[in-house]
This record gives sequence, C-alpha cells and structure tokens, in this order.
Amino acid sequence: MSSFTLGHFSQVCSQLLNHYYGEIVGQVGSYLLRRGNRMLNDIPTATGLSIREVKKALAVMIQHNLVKFQASERNNNVAEYTMIHHNVYCLIRYPKYLYMIKRIYGTSEEILLEILLNLGQASASNVIFHSANRLNEANVLSPSALHQSFQRLAQDNFIIRCPKLAENATLLKVPTLEIEEKEKFAVPNVEIEPIARMLKEKATQLGGHCDSEIIWRVNHERFDIELRNVILVNAAARRVDTTAGELYHLILKLWRESSNPDSPVTTPVSYNVIKDAVRKNDSSPILLEHFDHYLRVLYEDSAGLIDRAGDAGGGQFNLDYSKVFENLACASLDSIVLERFGSKALRLFRLTRIQKFMEQDQMQNVAMIPAKEAKMFTYKLLEHNFLQIKELKKGTSNFAPVKSFILYHVELPQVVRTTLEASYKGLFNAMVRQMHDLTENQRLLEKHAMLESMLERLKGDGVPDEEIAELSDTMPPAEKSLVEKIHLMSDNLTLGQTQADETILILESYLKFKSKEL
Amino acid sequence: MALKVVIKKEKVDDARPRQSARDDDKTEIEARILELLRKYPKGINDKILETHMPNLDIQIRVDVINDLLTKKKMKLFQAPGTNELFWGLNEQPVSIKLKEVDKEENVVMRIIEEAGNKGILNKDIRDQSGLNLTTINKILKALEGKNLIKSVLSISVAKIKVYMLFDLQPDRSVTGGSWYTDGEFESELVDIVNQQCYRMLQQKAEAAKLKAMDGPLIVRNASFLSSKEICQMISDMNIVKFNLTVEEIEAILETLVYDGKIEMRMVSDGDERIKTYRIVETLLSSAAIVRIPCGVCPVIKICGTAGEVQPKNCVYYDQWLD
Repeated sequence: MSSFTLGHFSQVCSQLLNHYYGEIVGQVGSYLLRRGNRMLNDIPTATGLSIREVKKALAVMIQHNLVKFQASERNNNVAEYTMIHHNVYCLIRYPKYLYMIKRIYGTSEEILLEILLNLGQASASNVIFHSANRLNEANVLSPSALHQSFQRLAQDNFIIRCPKLAENATLLKVPTLEIEEKEKFAVPNVEIEPIARMLKEKATQLGGHCDSEIIWRVNHERFDIELRNVILVNAAARRVDTTAGELYHLILKLWRESSNPDSPVTTPVSYNVIKDAVRKNDSSPILLEHFDHYLRVLYEDSAGLIDRAGDAGGGQFNLDYSKVFENLACASLDSIVLERFGSKALRLFRLTRIQKFMEQDQMQNVAMIPAKEAKMFTYKLLEHNFLQIKELKKGTSNFAPVKSFILYHVELPQVVRTTLEASYKGLFNAMVRQMHDLTENQRLLEKHAMLESMLERLKGDGVPDEEIAELSDTMPPAEKSLVEKIHLMSDNLTLGQTQADETILILESYLKFKSKEL
Repeated sequence: MALKVVIKKEKVDDARPRQSARDDDKTEIEARILELLRKYPKGINDKILETHMPNLDIQIRVDVINDLLTKKKMKLFQAPGTNELFWGLNEQPVSIKLKEVDKEENVVMRIIEEAGNKGILNKDIRDQSGLNLTTINKILKALEGKNLIKSVLSISVAKIKVYMLFDLQPDRSVTGGSWYTDGEFESELVDIVNQQCYRMLQQKAEAAKLKAMDGPLIVRNASFLSSKEICQMISDMNIVKFNLTVEEIEAILETLVYDGKIEMRMVSDGDERIKTYRIVETLLSSAAIVRIPCGVCPVIKICGTAGEVQPKNCVYYDQWLD
C-alpha cells in the first residue's frame, strides 16, 4: 500500500480521500485506485481491514459518487467496484464550486449546493429541508423560495438526477441503474407543507416524503465547463479588453445552451442571435455601440476564441475547443519554460514549436542568440523533455559513418503529458507539506483551539474582561504568533493547490479535446 | 700629308642636365599619356597623342611608350575593322607582379583572386595549389606584408580566417552583416535594438488605446506599425553608427514574435504586401502552476516521499512560506 506504486494522479486522489473521509476510506480507495475493478472479497485481504469496515467505506464512497459498481464479467452474481477517478479529483474543486454558484446566483443556492455536496446524494426535499435549517438561524427564507432556487440549479444543469433502479433490477443479484435523457434535470413536485411543518418543530431529520425515490447529485461535468469558461473569458479580456470579455461570456452561454457538451466543436450561433442576446442582457453601452467591431476583433484574433463558420443569418460563429485549448496549453507551457529557464530559452522553445523542425544552427540564427548560449539552452530544454530530437541520415554509405541531420521539434501531446504529471506531483507535494506542517504542530494548534473555544464560551456567559485577559495570557504571545504563522502557511498552501489545479484543468482539457478530434 | 687631328671632345656636362630634365619630362609625359589613356578608355592612337602633346619630341614619345609597354601599363591593339594601331590602358597591374614575386606566390595569388568576394580558406589553397603547409604560410605572410591580400574573420566557420584580395569588400556571408563585428556576434547591440523596437510598439499601442471610444477595431488597427516605419524610426534615433536595412529590422522583429510579445500581419498596400506588427497580450498572465515552488523547482525529478528531497523539508517551500 506504499505510495510509490501509485502514479501521481492517484497519489493526489488518495491524499484527498484520506483528508476528507478518513483513513479507512483512504485505504480502501487507494487499493481500488491501484487495482481497478475489484470484488468485495478481495479488498479486506489486501488492505487488512475487517469486512464490516470495508463495507462501510464502500457505502460511503458510493453515496458520494466516488465508486460505481457493476456485475462482474466472470460471474454475474457478484459486483465489482471501481473508483470514478474524475469525481475523486474533483473533491479539491468543491470550494471553487461554492464560490462560483455564489457569484452566479446567490447565498441560498450556495447553501443548497453545500448541503448536497455534504450529503453526496439526496432527494430534493431533504436538501431543501437541511438548507432551510441552516438558513433559519438568520430566519431568512421559506422552503418555497428554496424550492425555486433548487429548480434554477436544475435548469442550468448544475445538479443532475442519479440513475434509478432499472425495471428488471430486482430479478438480478447485482442491480443495474439507468436514467433517461429527458429525466435528467426534471424537478419533481415537492410538497412544501410537510417541510415547513418539520422546520417549525425544529426536527433534525425529514421523515418520509413523496419524492424520496428521486435522488440528486452534483453534476461535475457542468462545473468543469463553467471553470473552463472562466479561463476563456479571462483570456478574451486580456486579448482585447473587459467589454470583449463580457461579450464572450454571453456568446459562451449561447453555445452551451445549444451544443452537446461532449462534442469538441460547438454548434454555430448566428450573428442575429448574438445581437439579440446582447440587447436583452442590458450590457454596457459601449458594447451595444461597437458590437460589430468587438465581434470582429474577437474572431480575427489568432487565439481562436471565435471561429467564423459561415455566412447565414449575418454570420455563423462557433468555437473549436481543441484549437483554443491548444493555444491555452501552449501559453501555459511557455510560461513554465519562461519561469524555469529564462526568456532566451522561451524564444528557442516557441521558435521550434512554431517552425516545427529546426536545426541547431538555424535556431541560433533566427533567434539571434549567441551560439554558446543557444546551445546551452537547447540542451537544457532537451534534458527536461521540452524538446525532442529527430535524426535523419544524409546519404547512404556502406563503409563510412554517415553524417546525419539532427532536427529539434516539440511534440506537443507528449510535452503536455509530462507537464501534467509534474503538476500532479506539485499538487501532491503541496498537500503533503500542508499535512506535515499541521501534524507537526498539532499539539500547539489543539491547545490554541481549545483556548479560543473556552474564551468564546466565557464571553458568552458574561465573564468580566480581566479574567478573560488573564486566561488568554496563559498562552505566551510567541506561541500565538507561531499559531498565526502556521495558519497563514496553511492558507498559502491551499491557495497554491488551487493554482496548481487551474493549470491541471487547462492541460487536461487540451488532452481531452485532442483525443476527441482524432 | 698631315693627319687631320680630330680632337675627341668629352661629352659635355650640359648634356647631363638635359638627361635629368628628360627624365622629369619623361615621368610627366608618362603621367599625361596615362591620363589620356584613362580618358579615352576605348584607346588612343598616334593622332590623338599628337593633338594633345604637339610639342613632344617623337623620340621621347617613342621612349615613353616603350617604357609603358614594358611595364605593362599600356598595351597595343588593333582596332577591329580599320586595323589601325591603338594604345590602351592595361587594367590589370596585378600581372605585373609576375616579375616581382615568385612563381609559387603567383599561383597562390591566382587562387585567391578566383575566390573573389567570399575569400578562401588556408586548407583550400593547399588543396588547389598542391603546395605544402609551410610554403603556403610563408607565401601568405609575404603577400600580406606587401598588402596584396588580407585576412578576414569568417563567422560561418568559427573564427577561421579567409584570404582575399586587398581591395575587395568581404561578402556579407563572411562578415555576417551588421550584427557581427570582427567575427563576434554583438548580442548587446541586438538586445538594444530589440528593446527599442518593443518600446516603440508599446508606445503606439498606448496611443491607440486613447481612442477606445471609437471602438476596439479602431484601437487595434491603430496599434500596427509597418517594418519600414520602424526602420525609419530606429535610424532617426541614431543608436547604431550605420544604417540598418529593412531586412535586418524584420529579423529583429521576428525574434520578438518568437518571444510571444508581438504578432505579425501581412497587409497589402497598393501592389505590394508589407509586414505590420503590433503588441499582443498573452492568453494567460502566467501559468498558475509557476506560482508554487514545485512549478519551477529544478530538482522536481528527484523529489519524493522518501530520500533527500522531500516536500516536508523542502528548502524552496521554506523560503516561499516565510
């Protein structure tokens, strides 16, 4: 069970499981990540846990959409369990999800989502009930408003219905789950009355309710699309200006509504439709006035943010994900080369990438870098696998050794995969470091936490200030500042992990769309 | 019968001054004849000589012409058609060296002459002439001393000298154009010109942004500069002592394109297509991963959960978290 047998991605996943769900789930999860499909009986022998613990761990993971099961191929009566890698990785993105929902909608939707993330899978009523409970401390919203928020989330596909038992499921030992396309986002009728009643009674659990069979979960793919869109809009805003970013945001929305989420190219949207959307959206006056120009500047830009696909309806515009993510991935790689090796190396890297195949002499002439430096940077890039070599032999000779051309080129998918692995490693390192810092100073942190809670309680009880001050002095200021420093370090590391995740998203998207286009 | 006594008189001295005067005259006449020859490149005949120098004693003229002929500074030829005899200026004083130098040296000279503008390597002289190394070196030193040939540092063959005739201008492929002095690549000059071009494009872009109220298309089109304009502006700035051609400026601008700082676009202006450039922003301000130490770590390959390099005691993390 040592980590050296797991790839970097799986290491990250197992670290996440350990962190959020505890060690037992972590162990079971690591085993499944390593071994793929496994039947229930294999797991206790390999992990050394009891079968009860394993069953519980699996149940927790299935509830949280991290594990799926299906009938084994060899034996139809036994189920095999598999990890859903992407969902485990998305655990790190939960804070981003909440922030996005809050930004797009508001607090009530954010609470709904938080409850749903905590519960894993739940029925609509349950979610509404618990959210109302949470919000009731401020006595703000009624369940019907929450119901509407829930519907809004479903309409925009942020939450999705879980597959239900198939019709012949009871006949099989291993049940199959399925769901129809049109039912995926359909919100059932929810009875508000029982919920309101339970809330008044300050119940902690909602009892039986009418829609308990219809279960919902978070739709990770939709959130990925949203995260990607944020990156694209930022790129557009950098390329032109912020108003262009606004326009691009609207166009992305139109594309999303009309296209199949799995296709690498969106369906074209016509000029008139875009113009209507801009008008309806109450955008800035500059955008309305120069709408034509903004559109034109965006689709003539070399980054491929918008492609012009035809002339019907005043002009058809679509987006080729593979092209635009190739440009974004290249921008990421450029930035990494720049920070690691310097601007001269960047010039050589971009030159080789744009011109496809180059000889050493050509490179140093076109890049106008002195010969010695050019050679040094070329070999450094080669060493770190940013450049690849192709040898072509000149002439044929059976006797003398044949001179050969040595050409440098950049094989983009390979370089992206290498960088992606390095990014996973970086993310893992940040997590390990954070864990290490917190466990090392655990005693100190616990003491501080206890002291803080005691102080809070006493303040609530109305104890005079001098006593409180005396109590807080039991902890010397040096220790207090150390605790603060540790918290700051931990925050920095969390931010660092979020940053690493952003690069990982771009590189993963590039590889995903590249494989789709082929 | 008395013999007639003939008193042999010594040659009188006053003939001497006449001789020296004659010499002076001779050089003067030589010079005049050469001048005439240059003036009439197609050749002169006796008639023209007479008209220009009517007072010239025919004997002197003949002497001078003979001298010039032996010195090979002029030649005699027949005019096609009339078969008249003409005198012409001999343009190749080099062959006169035949007398002054050795035959071997002559061979070497001829080889170097053939190489023309591009010059020739020591090894190639050896191959072509078939002489051995020490002889060649001696000859080359001698010829250089006489200022007949010179050596130029070639950039293409890494600090090896090529030899060419003294008066010829070395070809661009040998000296490398404006960016090379004495065979050394002037990286500082390139950097300076590079930065200047970039700054100019930045200023243009900022000026263009002021027109933001006219719409983004106007802003974008106003931020373009053509390579000719940039060349003009750089020449006006007088950063470099010599003038830079448009091609050289375009080479510098291409390196900026490869830096990712500017983009190029071909625009047709009348009949020709010219290259225009403008500043562009990158798609990402920086790849997010470089903001953590692991993104730029030089030892990431050997980092792991066990061993010398671990995230737990990573020096870079310690620095970053402080």
